[in-house]
Parts: sequence; structure tokens; C-alpha cells
Amino acid sequence: MTSKRLLAVARKEVLQLRRDPRSLILAFVLPVLLTVLFGYAISWDVDNIEIAVLDQDRSKASRELLDAFRASSYFRLSAFLDDPDEIERLIDRGEVRMVLVVPPDFSRELGAGRTALLQAVVDGSDANTANIAMGYARAIAQSYSLRIAFAGSSFHPPVQAESRVWYNEELSSRNMIVPGLVAVIMMIVAAMLTSLTIAREWERGTMEQLAATPVTRIEVVLGKMLPYVGIGLFDVFSVSAIGVLLFGVPFRGSPLLLVPLSTAFLVGALGLGMFISAITRSQVLATQIAMVATYLPAFLLSGFMFDVSVMPPVLSWLTYLIPARYFLVVTRGIFLKGVGVDVLFVQGLLMIAFGAAGFAAAVSAFRKEIE
Amino acid sequence: MRGRAERVAAMVVKEFRQMFRDPRMARVIFVAPVIQLLVFGYAVSTDIANTATFLVDHDRTRASRELVDSFTASGYFRIVGRSDRPLDLVRALERGEAVVGLTIPVNFARDSTSSEGARVQILLDGTNSNTASIAKGYAERIVADFGRRLAPRGALALELRDRPWFNPNLESRDYNVPAVVGALIMLISLLLTSLAVVREREIGTLEQLKVSPLTAGELIAGKTIPFAVIALIDLAIVTAVALYWFEVPFRGRFFLLLVASALYILSALGVGLFISTISATQQEAFLASFLVFMPAILLSGFMFPVTSMPEVFQWATLLNPVRHYLEIVRAVFLKGAGFHALSRQFAALFVIGTSILLFAATRFRKS
Amino acid sequence: MSAAVTAWELSRRFGDFLAVDRVSFEVREGEIFGFLGPNGAGKTTTIKMLAGLLRPSSGEGWVAGLDIRTETAAIQSRIGYMSQLFSLYADLTVEENLAFFARLYGVTGGRRRERIDWALAMAGLEDRRRRLTGELPLGHKQRLALGSAVLHEPRILFLDEPTSGVDPLSRRSFWELIDDLATRGTTVFVTTHYMEEAEHCHRLALMNRGRLIALDSPRRLREEMKSPLLEVRTSEGLRAIEALSVLPGVLDVALFGRALHVTVEDREGAVERLQDGLRAKKVDVAGIRPIPPALEDVFVARVREAGGAIVD
Repeated sequence: MTSKRLLAVARKEVLQLRRDPRSLILAFVLPVLLTVLFGYAISWDVDNIEIAVLDQDRSKASRELLDAFRASSYFRLSAFLDDPDEIERLIDRGEVRMVLVVPPDFSRELGAGRTALLQAVVDGSDANTANIAMGYARAIAQSYSLRIAFAGSSFHPPVQAESRVWYNEELSSRNMIVPGLVAVIMMIVAAMLTSLTIAREWERGTMEQLAATPVTRIEVVLGKMLPYVGIGLFDVFSVSAIGVLLFGVPFRGSPLLLVPLSTAFLVGALGLGMFISAITRSQVLATQIAMVATYLPAFLLSGFMFDVSVMPPVLSWLTYLIPARYFLVVTRGIFLKGVGVDVLFVQGLLMIAFGAAGFAAAVSAFRKEIE
Repeated sequence: MRGRAERVAAMVVKEFRQMFRDPRMARVIFVAPVIQLLVFGYAVSTDIANTATFLVDHDRTRASRELVDSFTASGYFRIVGRSDRPLDLVRALERGEAVVGLTIPVNFARDSTSSEGARVQILLDGTNSNTASIAKGYAERIVADFGRRLAPRGALALELRDRPWFNPNLESRDYNVPAVVGALIMLISLLLTSLAVVREREIGTLEQLKVSPLTAGELIAGKTIPFAVIALIDLAIVTAVALYWFEVPFRGRFFLLLVASALYILSALGVGLFISTISATQQEAFLASFLVFMPAILLSGFMFPVTSMPEVFQWATLLNPVRHYLEIVRAVFLKGAGFHALSRQFAALFVIGTSILLFAATRFRKS
Repeated sequence: MSAAVTAWELSRRFGDFLAVDRVSFEVREGEIFGFLGPNGAGKTTTIKMLAGLLRPSSGEGWVAGLDIRTETAAIQSRIGYMSQLFSLYADLTVEENLAFFARLYGVTGGRRRERIDWALAMAGLEDRRRRLTGELPLGHKQRLALGSAVLHEPRILFLDEPTSGVDPLSRRSFWELIDDLATRGTTVFVTTHYMEEAEHCHRLALMNRGRLIALDSPRRLREEMKSPLLEVRTSEGLRAIEALSVLPGVLDVALFGRALHVTVEDREGAVERLQDGLRAKKVDVAGIRPIPPALEDVFVARVREAGGAIVD
């Protein structure tokens, strides 16, 4: 293998990339777009939940309780109901997610030292929001309850929980998503871009001309990979920068660790894309397979958005095969936990293994012979 | 009029023939829905269960063990490691071996009966903010319930009774699976329409069609009708699987779903047609469809609630037919809602659908 | 004189289809060796096997003394290859394409600049070096492709249908380039289906249905044509064909421009027999005379003798 031939292939690839607007958009614009979209528009942070209130007591006590809800940023009191029948209408139409029902004997029960009941009718169809909303409501009810029960006395509840959240104290879904985006974007873009490159040359006939020269398979694969590694690392940088500077995502670990691990992951993803390109020799087919083989798993099965541990066994075993899953541990570890090689040792090795495997797959699948 | 119908029918028949001969189409029509359904049905879940928890119990009394038992008995937490050293807990969280850390202090049992009360520490790995929020809520609740059992007197002034409607077990699957219909129909209509038209342009037969008696309108109808049919077939398949395999409830009327789907398909076909006017090759059409599909789905309430988005985006999603369609689908499946409750969404679908289709058709005619 | 290219019982199968059937030949150094035949005859398959792009199903071959089955890498450094459709990168400029292939062939530094300039001059593209290759007319692409193939001054050149689709004027100037290269000692192995180009070759191999049906210089091929040829000039071509086809002793009748070429079994009295036959059918004849066969006639006859061409 000579470096001159390798560099010649790389140089040609760069020249072609520069002149292909679609590839450039995919390589540079899409990652930025996705980051902004995910960082800014999309989140699971639930607040401003629309609720309605049916206060059948209308006492000072009930008003105090409702004030606690109003004061919370999680909820937005948008309707005061007079009639229980209205509850169904509002929830059916989806105008509110939850209706608080204060029974008529609320203040009376409280005054008598008995337990008063507060009902929360929740729209369960969006289970996630419902769950979270109920958690908040419960917390508000709890603190109100404590205030009333132990007002003026020095009695403390027998057991209290002190919760602390680490790594992502604000529980902002953005912090969860941005590090994951680095992994996901790289996987998608790398595989999509490279899935076209070899197939395109076969389709256009230039591969035949190339194959007749002394260039070797390794030189072609590596030469084609080099520009995309550059693009990939640039994307890592830009996504991280946007995340940190624009969205305030913390970066507590070492950039020096992120670079080599990202490179290994990139090589693997690029190798995968080229493998697909080499065996299909058809651009349309390559694009489709690349999407199913990279987009779906990266988004859904890597732990990016959905917890792997909650999936049924078959799927969770499947996730062990998805490289993005391990890289996600790396990025989240570096961004949020600030951990180093000692913790990420295993994942690091896996990244290197993935890189090697991807490269090997690409080289072995790519044949210079037409048949 | 006769001739018109015949010509359109001829095109529709041709499309169906070509579709079933082309293995690519078969993949998109049948394989994609199945994959999406399975994955979304099983992988996509925001519930928590058996969350990995690391325990540091300095007290090791019966009381502390009972507390731990109440955690594990809930089904939400699972002890994956124990130690005496707090450092091990930190390590476990760092390595991601555990997501929750429970520390019970040394005089827990004694303090819990004293007037001061005892405190337990709950540490949560916030990396997955969703899981962490929910886990935090459950953990605090379990502790509070435990405390109440210990000292029933005067412990609770206020009890919150929750009544979840429509989904008493709060299974996120019931929310996600019906929504797959929306994503699927969009994907299929987009892909097939744009690919089908562009393929003709690529191989040159489009020109041939243009010089035939076929008018532009008939051509459009001939191209879009087969895919509308396929989309509706897929609707039936997905609904059946949702109902019988995933056992998602269906409380509304199927007819309503059908009408909504028909209106929704208008938009999807319209966008597909539009993409075909801006793509020269099938591969471009494919990529363009993908680039349209992603934001349309992400900003529709499919996985991320619209209410969580910034105001600006919430207003923007009003233009997104997927959003309205998903609201209808979920309401029909889970709430048994009727037309009245969903009239706004139906109106929106109608307006958006017809506008997009008209716009795309005009562009197509011009080219 | 040693052989630059040798093929021995070379065969290639695609599934059930035998594309090349035990082909054997030798190409001498400095020769222009032509491979002639209709589409689907197996010419391109043969040349690809020699250039290391296809693996032979059976048989052996040597290029520049190297085995085509085991030493393809070494072979590829020593030969130049021009593929059908002149596959150059359409989105690279003329210069960039040349530079790229120069580097692949290990032509470096000052020599590279020299060779690129030479190629540009040969192709007549000096003032178009920054043009995108995709924008060039076909004739220029062809010459550019040739230039890219010889940057490293290979001793052996493989050209696969190098003039397909190019206008006759460009074709002629292209062959002048080939002749020039051959005079300087390059061995040129070329496939073509244009009969008139075959005249440029020192020796010709005729291929049909995967088999070699003739191998000799153009002159001797013509001389050895067994069945004599007559030319019939008439204004009623179709009727004449009809009339002649049913005459005994007539092997083949073909339209050749305004005249008919009639292949007959026996030269003796052929002219008179044809005249009688045509007069009987009242076909107007301007003249009949024996003519020396053109390569096309040779080819058609050989194909007929070998059992007919493949229908595409």
C-alpha cells in the first residue's frame, strides 16, 4: 500500500464532495439542524401542564391549596369549573390534562383533624405526561399536607426522603439528548454519506476505470474514508459547541478523550456505510438499507431517548449489538459525568473493536473485480 | 367523463402491477410498517420498571430491610448491588451500573420512632431525565407511604387520590402504538408517491405519458390513488395488530378513524407529489422524503409532547397535519371521543390537506 | 519477438451462459491487435479478463509475462486501460482527472506535470484544463480518457470500444493517435464493432458467440474468403433481393449502400446466372461484377459458416 495512491483517492473524494451540494447539506447542515431542533424544540420536560379545578368547598383552606398549585411552574390553571359534567368534556377534548376536584367537605375534614381527600382526574392517554404530572401533584399535595399536619408542632414525619439528582441536576431533557445526538448524528450521517460513495462509482462506471489501475482495496476504502472522518469530527465539534454554548449543556470531561473514541466510532460507522455501498452497488438500495440499519437502531434502540433497561429481553439483547449504544455511554459519561478512561475502559475497547470491524467489513466487501 | 375514468383506471392498474413487481416497493409497503410497529410497540416506552438501584444500608435493622423491601416490591426498583462503602455507590452511578442510589443512615430504625424522624438519601442519575423524574417521584412516594405506615397518627392531612382516565395502568404503549399509524401513513405516502413519479421521470416514460391524451389531473389521480389505497390497507393492518397483538383498547368508532385517515392521506400525498417535482432522481426523492419526514414526526407530538415545546414551535405545529391526526387517533383509540370533541382537528386536517394537494398539483402541472 | 499478451483456452461463464469459449491467441509486441465482433460476442469479457477486472472461469493468460490469475496487481501497474463509456469523473475538471490517475499510476513530481501537459496537448484540451469533464463533448472525453490511460507510458494498452458513439471525424483522428503510439512500440489491444476501423489493425481476431472464428491480418482474411462476392447495382433493391435469394448457388444477399453484395458458391458463370435470374423476374439491373470482399463481408461469411450471430 502506498500513501500516494491513498491520498490521491482522498483528494479526489474531497474535490467531488465540494461540488456536490446535497452531500454538503447532509454533512454540515443536517447535524446543525437536528441539534437545534432537538435542543430547542423538543423536550420531555413537562411543565405548563394545563389543569382545571372544580372547587366544591371554596374555603380558605381549599384556596390555599389551589394557590400552591398555581404557584408551581409545572401547572397552569386554565379553567375553574362549576359542574362535574364539565370534567368529561374538557378531558375528552384534550383541553386540560388534569382536573383537581376539591370535595365539599374538604375544610371540614381538615379542621376535624381527619384526612381530607383531594381527587385528581388525569388524562391517562399520554401515560408519560400523566405520570410526571401526577408526581408533581403528589409532591405539592405532600408538602401542603405536611404544613397543615405539623403546623405549629415540632413533630416530624417518621421518615423523609432527601433526593438529589446528579449529573443533570435540572433534570433537563436537553442535557440528556445533546450528548446522545453526537452519537446519533454521527451514525446516521456517516452511514448515509458513505453508503452512496462506492455504489455511485459502480453505477456511473467510474469504478471500472478505477479498478483497472494498480490501486488496492485498502487504499480505496481508506482513501474514501479520510474526508468523511474529517467531516465527522467536525460535526462532533459543532454539535458539542452548539450544545454547550447555546443550550448550556455541561461538559465536564476531557475533550482529549472524546476525540479518539469518536474517531474509532466514526471509522466503524463509515465502514458500515461503505460495506453497504460495496455489496449493493446501487445507490437507491444503499440509501434504504443504510436508513434501516443505522437510523432506526440509532434513534430507538441505543438508549438515546428510550431506556434500554425497560425493553423486553429480545430487544434489549439486540441493543447490545448496536455500537451507538456504547458510544452513548461514552458521550454521556464525558459530557455529564465527567468520567475518564478508568470508567469508560470497556466502552473504549468496544469502540476500537467496532472501528476495526467496520473497516474490515468494508475492505472485504469491496471487490475490484466486476465479478 | 367515461374516457377520463378509463384513463385514470388504466394508470391505477399499471401502478399496481409495477408496484407488485418491484421488490423495493414491496419492502416499503409491507416490511417498513411491520418493523416500525414492532419497534415502537416494544422499544418505545417511557415507563420505568426494575430500575437498577444500589443500596448502602448502614443500619441493617428490620426496619431498614422493610424499607428496602417496599422499594423492590413496588416493581419499579431492583437492587443490583450492595455495599457498606458510599464510594461504591458513587462508582456504580459513574459506571452506569445503577441509576438510583439508596443510602440508609446508621440510626435509621431508632430515628424513625423519635420525634426528629429519620432521613434516607436517594441519589438519582439524571442522565436520562425522563427516567430520573419518574423514579424520583416513585421513590419519594414509597418513602412517604412507609413513613405513614410507621406512624399512622396525624401523618396525613391530605391524601391525593388519582384517577387516571382511559389508561388506568398508565401504559405508555397504548399511547405510542396507535400513533405509529400516523407515522406509517406519512412515510408510505411520501415515499411511494415521490418514488413512483420520479422513477417515471428517470426512465423517461413520464414524457411519454405527457404526450398521451392523459391530462395532468388524471396523471396525478392515477399516481396517487393506488398509494392512498395502500395507505388505507396499512391502516387496517396496523390497527389490527395494535388491537389483537398489543391489546391496545379501541373505544371509538372505526368510521371516524377512516375519515380522518382519508383527510390525512391528502396531506401526505400532497407532500409526496411536491417532492417529486423537486427531485430529479429516485435517490434524491428518497433523501428529501426522509428530510421532510423527520421534523414532521418529531414536531407532531408523536414522541415528545407538543405542550413541552416553546410557544413558537407550538404555534408552528398547528400547520403540521401529523399533529392533528395523532390527536384524533389517540382520542379515538383511548378516549372513545366523537366527532364533536375532535371537530377542530378534523377541520384543520381538511384545510391543510386540500391546500397542500392543490399546491403540489399546480406545481406538477407546470412542470 | 516475444508475446505481449497470451491467452490460452480462456473461458468465462455467467451462470448458464458461456460468454467466452476457450479462446486462445497471442499478441506480439508493438502490434495493433483488434478484437472484432457483434455485440454480445464476448469481446469486452475477454479484454476485462486480461485487464484483471473479471476472473476467468477456466484457462490461462499472460500479460507482459505476468499471470492474469495471480498477478493482476502487477499487471495493472504495467498496462493502460480505457473502459467503454470512457468512465471519467464527470464532476472533476480535466486537469483533476489527469492528476488523479497520474497519482494512481505512480507518476509523480515533475514528470507528472510533463505527462499531464502532454496528455492535454494530445487531446487538444490545453485551454480547457479547468473545465468540468462532464461538460465536454464526447470526442474530447474520448481523447481525455486515452490520455488518462497512458500517463504512465505503459507498454501495453487495452482499449474497450474506444470509439463507440463518436463522430467519424473524431474517430479518424483518434486512430491516428493509436497509430502513433504503436509506432513508438506500444502494444495496443483494441475491441471494436466498427468494421472499417479493423483495417487499422495489424492483426484481427473475429469473435462470435464467445468463440474465436478467425485470426489473421486484414489482408489475408480478405484473400482467404472462400465464397466469391459479386456486386449487383440496381435501383430496385428489395425486389432484387427477393429474386436472388431463391436462386440456387446463392449463399447470401445483403444490401450494401445502393448496391447488393451477393455471395455465391461458385465463381464459374455466376454473373450470367444472376443476370438470368433477375431478368426472369423483370428486375432492372444496372450492372453485375465480381468485387474483392470488404472486411464486413468476410465477417458476415465467417459468422454464417460458424452458425449465425447471436440475436441481441
